[in-house]
Amino acid sequence: MIRPEEIKMSTEETGKWGMVIDQDICTGCQACVAACAMENNITFVGEEDAGYGRSMHWIRIERFWEGEYPEVKMTPQQPMLCQQCGHATCEPVCPAFATVHSQAEQLNLQVYNRCVGTRYCANNCPYQVRAFNWRDYQRPEPLPNQFNPDVTVRRMGVMEKCTFCIQRIHKAQDKAKSEGREVMDGEFTTACAQACPANAIVFGRVDNPESLVSQLSHKGHGVKHLEELGTLPNVTYFKGG
Amino acid sequence: MIKKFFDWLKQPLGLIAVGIVFLALFSAATYGIYTTQQTPEQPIDFPHNKHISFGIQCLYCHPGASKGPAAGIPSQAKCWACHNQIVKTRDSALLAPLKDAVMSGESIEWVPVAIVPDFVQFNHRAHVAAGKNCEDCHGDLTKMTIYENPQVFNMGWCLNCHIETAGDDQEKLIKLSDCGTCHY
Repeated sequence: MIRPEEIKMSTEETGKWGMVIDQDICTGCQACVAACAMENNITFVGEEDAGYGRSMHWIRIERFWEGEYPEVKMTPQQPMLCQQCGHATCEPVCPAFATVHSQAEQLNLQVYNRCVGTRYCANNCPYQVRAFNWRDYQRPEPLPNQFNPDVTVRRMGVMEKCTFCIQRIHKAQDKAKSEGREVMDGEFTTACAQACPANAIVFGRVDNPESLVSQLSHKGHGVKHLEELGTLPNVTYFKGG
Repeated sequence: MIKKFFDWLKQPLGLIAVGIVFLALFSAATYGIYTTQQTPEQPIDFPHNKHISFGIQCLYCHPGASKGPAAGIPSQAKCWACHNQIVKTRDSALLAPLKDAVMSGESIEWVPVAIVPDFVQFNHRAHVAAGKNCEDCHGDLTKMTIYENPQVFNMGWCLNCHIETAGDDQEKLIKLSDCGTCHY
């Protein structure tokens, strides 16, 4: 049996795209949540389903408290999104191979047309970042006009999650290829990072030591959440730096 | 009652009835599938073959194919720019819908034929840049009037070509057979 420590040792530094989130400058304004919903055609589930905990955010701001009431102290806001694990727990449990690891981009993919909706992946995700389409949610006019044509509109019974804005990755790669060059660092970014007014989110190539995101992630006090599970997350958090 | 019915079915007459019902269902299903594979009716019977015989390149009317994801359908202004100058087509009854659309400023509602499902993200530019010609996927349009698909655009057909194109290049094969290349 392979122990998590061994997996971590053997496949460290294998990611391609990564993210750094500075919790000290995050104000919890939810701009990233809104931007993500707009970019990725995420539906609004409405009051009733939200009450069941069926909100479909690909990124959410987590809040925690320290101490006993009334002496409570809020810890820094924590944006939580798919960590694009190098050794993801969601992948091996899918019976339909709908959540697979992209060899080309080193991301966890969600193939909507393969998904049969067992929700096994969401139950196995330690970060709880997967969202399930419990219904075909209706969008009243004129909301369908703001659909992003580069992203699939998901239907009922399909699991979905953060893709690290793979449509933007492909667009940038396509543009760079047509101009005969490589994708430059900072040329494009994810919707959440673009919308963040405090620039708390930085996105880029972690396998390129020159890039801003890999320089930040090697700063020392960065934390990867639930790293002890051996999931090899590609998102680094800074807190109390 | 039900037993009586099944006994009746076992008789020669009953067997013939079962056969007729089966045939009716089968032909209805076949007809249903057949109708989905038919080329839809277009507002104007656009003759691709004639336009090509005049030496017009595909990219003249569908310039998006070399620049971005969608090849695009030319605007009616583009159609009319040529047809307005040709006396025969300017007053032709066949082109009345075009003339009406130009005069009233409403768009002609062409019916898309070469389509892929919503969960497939197709990019024309990458395919043109890789040296694919239009006719490799869209068929020989010199023989077509209204466009019809030469084959069903399904994933097996796409993937066959991707794997063939990659050849022995492992890096290219990984990229071209990756789910995330087309589905996101």
